Amino acid sequence: MSPRRIETGNRIDRLKTIRFTFDGAAYTGHAGDTLASALLANGVTLFGRSFKYHRPRGLLSAGVEEPNALVTVLRGDVREPNIAATMVEIHDGLVAISQNRFPSLSWDINAVNQLGGKILSAGFYYKTFMGPVIGPFKGTRFWMFCEHFIRRAAGLGRAGSAADPARYERMNAFCDVLVVGSGPAGLMAAKAAADQGARVILAELDPRFGGSANWSDETIDGLPSADWARRAVKQLEGHDNVRLLPRTTVWGYYDNNTLAALERVSDHKENPGKGEPLHRYWAIRAGSVVLATGAFERPLVFPGNDRPGVMLAHAAERYANEFGVLPGDKVALFTNNDSAYRSALALKKAGAQIVAIADVRPELSGDVRKLAEETEAEILTGHAVIATEGGRALTGLKLQRFDMANGGLTGDARSIHADCLLMSGGWSPTIHLASQAGARAEWSPARQAFLPPQPTQKWIGAGAFTGSFSTAEAIAEGRAAGLAAAGGSSTPTALPSVEAAPGDPDPAPVFEIRAKGKSFVDFQHDVTAEDVRLAHREGFVSVEHLKRYTTLGMATDQGKSSNVPGLSIMAEALGKPIPEVGTTRFRPPFAPVSIGSLAAERFGDLKPERLTPMHDWHVDNGATMYSAGLWYRPMIYGLSGETIEQAYVREARATRETAGIVDVSTLGKIAIQGPDAAEFLDRVYTNMFSTLAVGKARYGLMLREDGFAFDDGTTWRLGEQDFLMTTTTANAGKVMQHLEYFLDVIWPELKVHVTSVTDQWAGAAIGGPKARQILAASVTGTAVDNVTLPFMGIVRGEISGVPVMICRLSFSGEMAFEVYCGAGYGTHVWETLVAAGKPFGLVTYGLEALGTMRIEKGHVTGAEIDGRTTARDLHLDWMLSKKKPFIGSAMMDREGLVSSDRLELVGLMALDNRPLNGGAHIVEELDEANPHGSIGHITACCYSPALGKHIALALVKGGKARHGTRAHVSDPLRNRFGPVEIVSNHFYDPDGSRMHG
Amino acid sequence: MVERLSPLEPDFHPGSHGNFEHGVDVILTETRPGSIVQLAAWPGEEKKLIAAIRAVTGLALPDGAGGGISSGGKSVFGFAPGKFTVADDAEGLAEAFAKAVGPAIGTVTDLSHGRTVIRIAGPKAEWVLAKFFAIDFALPAFPVGSGRSTAHHDVFAQIHRSGTDQFDIHVFRSFARSFWKALCHASEEVGYEVQ
Amino acid sequence: MLITCPYCGPRDVIEFTYQGDGNRERPEPASQNFEAWNAYVYDRLNPAGDHNEIWQHSGGCRSHLRVVRNTLTHEISSVAFARGDHGPRRKMEGKS
Repeated sequence: MSPRRIETGNRIDRLKTIRFTFDGAAYTGHAGDTLASALLANGVTLFGRSFKYHRPRGLLSAGVEEPNALVTVLRGDVREPNIAATMVEIHDGLVAISQNRFPSLSWDINAVNQLGGKILSAGFYYKTFMGPVIGPFKGTRFWMFCEHFIRRAAGLGRAGSAADPARYERMNAFCDVLVVGSGPAGLMAAKAAADQGARVILAELDPRFGGSANWSDETIDGLPSADWARRAVKQLEGHDNVRLLPRTTVWGYYDNNTLAALERVSDHKENPGKGEPLHRYWAIRAGSVVLATGAFERPLVFPGNDRPGVMLAHAAERYANEFGVLPGDKVALFTNNDSAYRSALALKKAGAQIVAIADVRPELSGDVRKLAEETEAEILTGHAVIATEGGRALTGLKLQRFDMANGGLTGDARSIHADCLLMSGGWSPTIHLASQAGARAEWSPARQAFLPPQPTQKWIGAGAFTGSFSTAEAIAEGRAAGLAAAGGSSTPTALPSVEAAPGDPDPAPVFEIRAKGKSFVDFQHDVTAEDVRLAHREGFVSVEHLKRYTTLGMATDQGKSSNVPGLSIMAEALGKPIPEVGTTRFRPPFAPVSIGSLAAERFGDLKPERLTPMHDWHVDNGATMYSAGLWYRPMIYGLSGETIEQAYVREARATRETAGIVDVSTLGKIAIQGPDAAEFLDRVYTNMFSTLAVGKARYGLMLREDGFAFDDGTTWRLGEQDFLMTTTTANAGKVMQHLEYFLDVIWPELKVHVTSVTDQWAGAAIGGPKARQILAASVTGTAVDNVTLPFMGIVRGEISGVPVMICRLSFSGEMAFEVYCGAGYGTHVWETLVAAGKPFGLVTYGLEALGTMRIEKGHVTGAEIDGRTTARDLHLDWMLSKKKPFIGSAMMDREGLVSSDRLELVGLMALDNRPLNGGAHIVEELDEANPHGSIGHITACCYSPALGKHIALALVKGGKARHGTRAHVSDPLRNRFGPVEIVSNHFYDPDGSRMHG
Repeated sequence: MVERLSPLEPDFHPGSHGNFEHGVDVILTETRPGSIVQLAAWPGEEKKLIAAIRAVTGLALPDGAGGGISSGGKSVFGFAPGKFTVADDAEGLAEAFAKAVGPAIGTVTDLSHGRTVIRIAGPKAEWVLAKFFAIDFALPAFPVGSGRSTAHHDVFAQIHRSGTDQFDIHVFRSFARSFWKALCHASEEVGYEVQ
Repeated sequence: MLITCPYCGPRDVIEFTYQGDGNRERPEPASQNFEAWNAYVYDRLNPAGDHNEIWQHSGGCRSHLRVVRNTLTHEISSVAFARGDHGPRRKMEGKS
C-alpha cells in the first residue's frame, strides 16, 4: 500500500491497480484516482513550480479551481499542457509531466528568481522592458527582443506542434431543464424536474455525480451521503427523460439560455472506443437552468501560504473521504470560519493527528468548540499563522496572537511541527455562469462573499451557489428549483432528512495576515498581497486596472480562489468597502476549453467540399484538382513530365486549333420562374431581358445598389415565364441572396420564384474549330448547324440517350457550346463527348487554360469585378440600358464613378518576354530601386499561346487613352521590374469572327 | 435509359462499420428517388397547390409550417412559406406537376438531379444528427412526417422525418459526398451499417 | 442569440444572415432624387436600443424577416416576414 493510502475513500476501487508515469517515474494508483490523489498517495508533495518566482508548489485544492498543480499530459507526440492534476483521471499508460521547471522539478534553476522577489513585483515587465527612446531597440522592439527569454522562464506548459489525431465533436442538445452541478442541490433539482416529465440534462464536471455528498461525511435520508447520492443517481438513470453528463463542464452561459459545455469523453481511457471523441462540445438550449454549482473555498493570505502541504481545508477532507488519501500525518488548521472544523475532524477520523487549530476569531460557539475538542487538537483562538517552514514539503509553521479588530499581531511567535496545514478563508459561491448570463453579483457582508444576482435569464439557483451552505438548505432549494424550472409547484412529500455537523455559515471578515514574507493572493500568477498594494500606490484604483496591472485572476484558473481575497486587500488599501470597489464580470469559459472541441468537425477531411458530377472522371484522368471556394475544379490535365505552364499552354493551343472541353458545372445556376420573371430580370440586370426570345440566351451584367459592378453571366429563356440564370462560380450564393432580398423586401408584389439549380445540371463547354463537328457526331434529336443553333441560341436534344440542353455561347472566344444535362448523367455525357472528340483531337482543359483563353479574349471575372470597378471601367457601358431603371442605375453616374482618372481595364504585353505577376503595380517611371507613382495593377496574367507573349489584364488609370503607350511593371517583393506595352484588353480575335463562325 | 450515377459512389461502402461489434445503432443509405420536385405557391394560392399535390400524388398534406407526410414511395413536406418538396420513387413527377400546377398557382422546379437524399435510421439516428444540426429532433418537437430546413455550416439540408427513428436528409448534390463522409464519420461511435 | 423564424421556429443565429438596416426606404426605381438614393444606400441608423433590422433565414427557409432587436441586450421583441403575412406559422415551441 502507498505510504499515505488509508482505508476510507469511497471513490476508488482498490481491486484495480493502475500504472502511470509522472516526470518519467512509474507510479501506481487505483481506479477512481485523479493524478493528484494518486501522487499524493505516493507521498508526492511537489507538483509544480510557480509562474514567476519558480517557488515549489503542491496541491491547493482537489478540484477544478486548482491553481498550482498544472501538468502536461502526453498522448504520443501530442502534448496537452496546463491541465489541473486534480482533473486528470489516471488510466494505465497515462504519461504526465510537470511544467515550468528546468532542468527538473526538484532542482529548478530559475528558483533563484525567489531571491529577486522585489524586482519581479507587479508591473515589472512593463517598467523594465519599455526600451530606450531611440536606437535599434527603441520602444517595444526591446520588449520583443526580451520576450522570447522571458516567456521561456515565466510561463506555463508548452504547447506542442504535433498534429492532434484525436476526434472532437460538437453536439446540439435541447432540454426543458438543464441542471448544472450534481451535489445534493443538483440531484434534488434533477429528480424533481424529471418527475414532472420535463426533459432534463444533468451536467457534472467530475466523473462522479454527488458533489459534496461524495466526501461530506454527512447522513442524508438515513444513508451515508455518498450512498444517498448513488441511490439518487440510480433513480435518475431510470428516467428516459434524463440525460446524465458526467465529466462535463458547463463553461458558457449565452443569450436565450444557450449554454456551452465540454464533455471529456475519453480523456480517462487508455483506449477510447472506436469513433469515440476525446472531447465533445455541447451546445445546449435549455428552457430553464438550475444553477447548483456550489462554492469554492478561499485560501487565507499569509506569509508562506503557498508552501507545498498548505491546502484548502475541504480539499484535505475530500482527499481523505473520497480518495482514501491522507495529505499529512501531523495536521494543523488555520481558519476564519466554522466549516473547516468538520474537515479537521474528518482527517482525525481518517487517522491523522490534528496538532493545532488556529482561528482568527477570539471565541468559538459551543457547538464548534465541541467539534474542535473532538479533534484532540490544541485550540488557539485569536491566533494566526504568520509563517510556514519547509522546502518541497511543509515541516512546520509559526503562530502569533492576532487581533481581528485591527489585524495586529502581538506576543511571541511560536513554532509548531506539522506536515500539512489546512486553511479556510470562507466560501465564495460559484456564480460564474450567473455572471456570464448578464447581471452583476451582490456582496453579502454576512457571508463575506458575492452572491448571485437576480436572474436576467431563465435560471434558478440552489444550494451553496446561492450562499446557502448547509446540505439541508441545498436539498430544499434544489427540489424547489427543479420543480419551478419544470413548471411544477407542489411539494407533497417530505424532504430527505440531513444529519450534519453544526456551524455558522458566516466567516470572520479576515482575508489577510500582514506579516513579513510573501503572502500569495493569486497562486497561479504569483501575485502577492504586496503587489496589490503596490498597484494601489501606483495609482490603479479600478478593479479592472488592478487586474490587468498585477494580472491577478488572469491565469488559467481565472482567479477562482483569488478574486475575493484580492478585492478585499484592494478595498482595504483604498479605504472603501468591498462592494464599492466592485467585482469584475465573469466571462466564458468557466474553465479551460480545448481548442479541438471548438473546431470540432470543421477541420481536416471533414471540411465541406463541393464536387462536380464529373469529379471522379477528372481525378481518374490525370487532372490536378484546384480548390475554388468550396469547389474542386481541374487545374490542368498534365501529361507526364509536363509543367503546369506547359500543360495549360498545350490545352489552350489545342482548343484554339481543334477543340477543347471543360467542366463548367460549378457556374451558379438559378431558376427564375413566374409571370413577372422577365420584368424582374429587367430590374436586376443593366440590360434588357423582357425582349429576349424563348430559346435564346443573353449576356447580362448586374450592378449593386451603389452603382458598382456586381456579377455577370448569361441567362437563358427556357419558356415565357421560365429563365435559367447563370452566375460566376464565386458569386452564386451572393447573387441568390441579392435576388431573394429584392423579391422579399423591395418588390414583394412581383410573382417570381428563384431556386438554386446549380446542382441540378452538369455542364460542359466544348469549343474550338472542330466543336460543332464533334457535337454533331454526338447529338441526336436536333441539328446543331448555324441556322438551328445560331450564336446565343438554345436547342434540346439527346446525347446517347440522355436529354441535353445546348446553348451556343463562348467564353474561350472560339465557336463554342455549353451542354447541360441532369447531373446524374454528367459523367456519361462527358465521356460520350470526349470519345466523340477523340478523332478530332479534342482535349480536356482545366482552369488554367480557361483563364488563359479568357485573358486573351479580355473577358472579365471576379478579379476585375472586384467591388471597386464600374461597368464603364470594364468597358461594359454598352450594356447599360437607357430605357429602364435597374438596380444601381440611380447611383452609377455619380461624379466619382465617371471621372476620367479611374482605373480602367486594359491589356498589357511584357516587352522583356518574361512572365508577369498578378497584383504587380504599373508605374510610369523607370526607377526600379524606388518604384513610385502606381497607375494601376495587374488583375490576371498568363503566357498566351495565341500571341506567343506574356500578357496580362490590368486596371490602369486613364485606360483606353494609354493604349499604345509604354509603362513598367513593378513587383519588388518578387523582384520583377520590366517594360510593358499597354494595349486593348481584347488581345485575340477582337471582332469575334471565330466564335460567330 | 442510362443509369444515373450516385454522387456518393466511391465512398459508399455497404456493410457494417465503426464500433459495430456490439451491434449497429444506425443504418445509412441513399434513397435515390426517381423524382424530386420543388413546388412553390404564390401568396394566397397555397390551398390550390396543396390540392394539386393531392391530385398528383394522393398525399394529403397536414396543416402547419413544415407539415408533411409520406406513403407508398412518395413523400411531401413543407420547407418554407408556401413551398414544398415532393419526392417519388418513380420518375416523371416534374412533368405531372407541370400539368397540374398552372402559372396562376405557382411554380414547379425539377430538382431530381440536384438533390441527394440520404436516409439515416435507427435508435441513434437523433443522436448522430444532433452532431450536425442545431434543431430539436425529439419527437414532440419534430413529429413524424414533418420537414425542417436547416444547415450544417455551408451544407443546406431539408430534413424529412419519414419514421419515428428515420430521417431523409435532402442535400445539394455537390455537397452530398462530403456530407455523407461526415455522416459516416459521426456514426462510427455508435456503429453503423451502409445498405 | 436565437431568432424565432415565423416559419421554422427558434433557431440559432448562425442560420441567419444580417441583411441590413430595416429603416431604409428605397426610392421609386425611376427616382432622380439623388439625396434620397444616397440616404438609402449609405445612411444607417445605429441606435443603442431597439433597432429595425432585416435578417434572412439563409440556413433555413430563406425568408427575409423584419426583426426588432435591442442592440444592447440582443432581446428580440418582434419578428415578421418581410413580405407580409405568408402562410402557416409554427407555434412557439416548448414551455414558456
